[in-house]
Amino acid sequence: MENKKNHSGPLMIALQHDDLFDLNSVSTNTELPKGRAFTFIKAVQTVNERLVEQNKNECLLFEVILIAMECTEDVKMKIVESVKYYGLEIGKFYFCKKEELKNTLQSNKVKLFLSTDRDDVQEALRSGISAALLYDQADHHVLNPLKVILSGDVLGFSEDSLESYLDFELSENQIETVKAAKICVKEFAVLIGQMRRRFGPDNSPICTCVLTVWGSRNVCASALKTLREWGLDVDEAFCLAGAPSNPILSVVNPHILWDGGFHNMRDLAALS
Amino acid sequence: MMNMNTALPEEMHTFWKETCNQTSPSKKPKPPKPQNAITIAVSSRALFNMDLEQDIYEQQGMEDYLNYQIQHEIEPFAPGPAFPFIKAVEAVNARLRELYPDSEELFDVVLMTSNHAHVGLRLINSINHHQLFLERFCMTGGNSPIGYLKAYHTNLYLSADSLKVREAIEAGIAAATVFSPGKITEVPETQLRVAFDGDAVLFSDESERIFKAHGLDKFFEHEKAHENKPLDHGPLKGFLEALGKLQQKFYAKGQRLDCPIRTYLVTARSAASSGTRALKTLRSWGLETDEALFLAGAPKGPMLEKIRPHIFFDDQMFHVEGATELGTVAAHVPYGIAQKIPPKKDGKKDTSARQLE
Repeated sequence: MENKKNHSGPLMIALQHDDLFDLNSVSTNTELPKGRAFTFIKAVQTVNERLVEQNKNECLLFEVILIAMECTEDVKMKIVESVKYYGLEIGKFYFCKKEELKNTLQSNKVKLFLSTDRDDVQEALRSGISAALLYDQADHHVLNPLKVILSGDVLGFSEDSLESYLDFELSENQIETVKAAKICVKEFAVLIGQMRRRFGPDNSPICTCVLTVWGSRNVCASALKTLREWGLDVDEAFCLAGAPSNPILSVVNPHILWDGGFHNMRDLAALS
Repeated sequence: MMNMNTALPEEMHTFWKETCNQTSPSKKPKPPKPQNAITIAVSSRALFNMDLEQDIYEQQGMEDYLNYQIQHEIEPFAPGPAFPFIKAVEAVNARLRELYPDSEELFDVVLMTSNHAHVGLRLINSINHHQLFLERFCMTGGNSPIGYLKAYHTNLYLSADSLKVREAIEAGIAAATVFSPGKITEVPETQLRVAFDGDAVLFSDESERIFKAHGLDKFFEHEKAHENKPLDHGPLKGFLEALGKLQQKFYAKGQRLDCPIRTYLVTARSAASSGTRALKTLRSWGLETDEALFLAGAPKGPMLEKIRPHIFFDDQMFHVEGATELGTVAAHVPYGIAQKIPPKKDGKKDTSARQLE
């Protein structure tokens, strides 16, 4: 079974430089100002620290790849300098063109590509890259445990219970997208599950959640069951049954929000 | 944690099939938007009986507790103290949907639990078993429910954990700690009956302060002198108001006599004197209760036993206990001068007795 295999090697995730640093504000310093992904990086580093604390020889750690597309030489320098300045643990830098993104991610076995831009995430998903939204944490001064939300609507999807998404039906196309998304995120979920198991129920530096926006409670149950089969026992679960998700999301306050593009599906836009 | 390598026994296969492939009939009603509905948030220990599991948690700790819950996943919980209340609320919803099929002015029940999602499957299984109309839940994995209560525009929060209830009251949310009755009383299935104490529940505790500071005679004097001055509102005034709005919807369709919602004021005030101010206050707010019972200090238990409400709210544990002894589900509203523990002024959370529910 998946969780018995000892996955040696790090869990690769990729970030974009304009999420890690703020390129828009004017600054006279040599280092770039902190961007929206800063608390995320700090949370990831804390997870790594705690993992190593428990086991010096731990191989299953996060490794962050920083992607910078279409950058000037000047900015490239600043990026490297800034990473050094803040003491960030960046495994690799990739300065590449947009068309090279998919290959770059694949060759590095990146399990999840993260962006604060919903369109970026959508585009990545459409081209077959496993991607998720980097949620803008409200307070950048508080360092919370790394919080990952996985969509119960996608994970709990089953062909036998199509009418369990309130009162709408998914098109053939959408069903295929959902099924593909579920397969795509499995590797990431399995690894996160292994990481999570290194810690007890309390005081964990990593926290996992299932969020079901439109699915019924049984869709949510199905998602929980699927994740458990993959070796991931989530900490928190939310079922909204069509209630607006933003008020709940701002309380859950995740770092990573993965929904496989479910919420962007055109027919569902009207419901949000 | 459960060993994932062992093959699932036959019963579990059946359970999973039933739970996950349960096709909801296409006629299943859509839950209303939170801002339109009267949202009642209920904790898992208020809704279900989890006494055994709570003992395991307190005596053996979190790991054993979670393991026990997972091992007994296919066993639904028995009903808890708030269960009959929730069932009656659903019955009201059914009647409202018949009369107003397009309206979102309905009750909405949300399960608000600080349990870990590990317990989630057992809870969902229990909801399915009892055929509750509960599609919304928050399992916060140990975090405070307050932010979520606000996000859901919660009109009433019922919990078995007094600390969480106090937090909610202090955050301005109507809340009460539910206690199990000492004996089983049959309550009506087709009429929701809610009973309220007056002072420090519907009204502020201003008069109780006078009674506590200056005694009964001064209290009577004061109330008589201020008869026409409405009392300030208490934490559950809003909930009574919400019930009143729904009652109006039934009256509008000619259902005043057999209205599926009935409210009661059960107060220690006496009809002859201090009671007048209470009634005038309600009237000034445009509110009323279907019955007003002035006990002039007599115990509330026997009266409540006759009324058979689904729930009774009071700010004094003395009355809450008196009610539960005689079979009424009573809920403590930790508000006002009657509380033994004063509200925290420094905003520090009391984490000494953490409860998972």
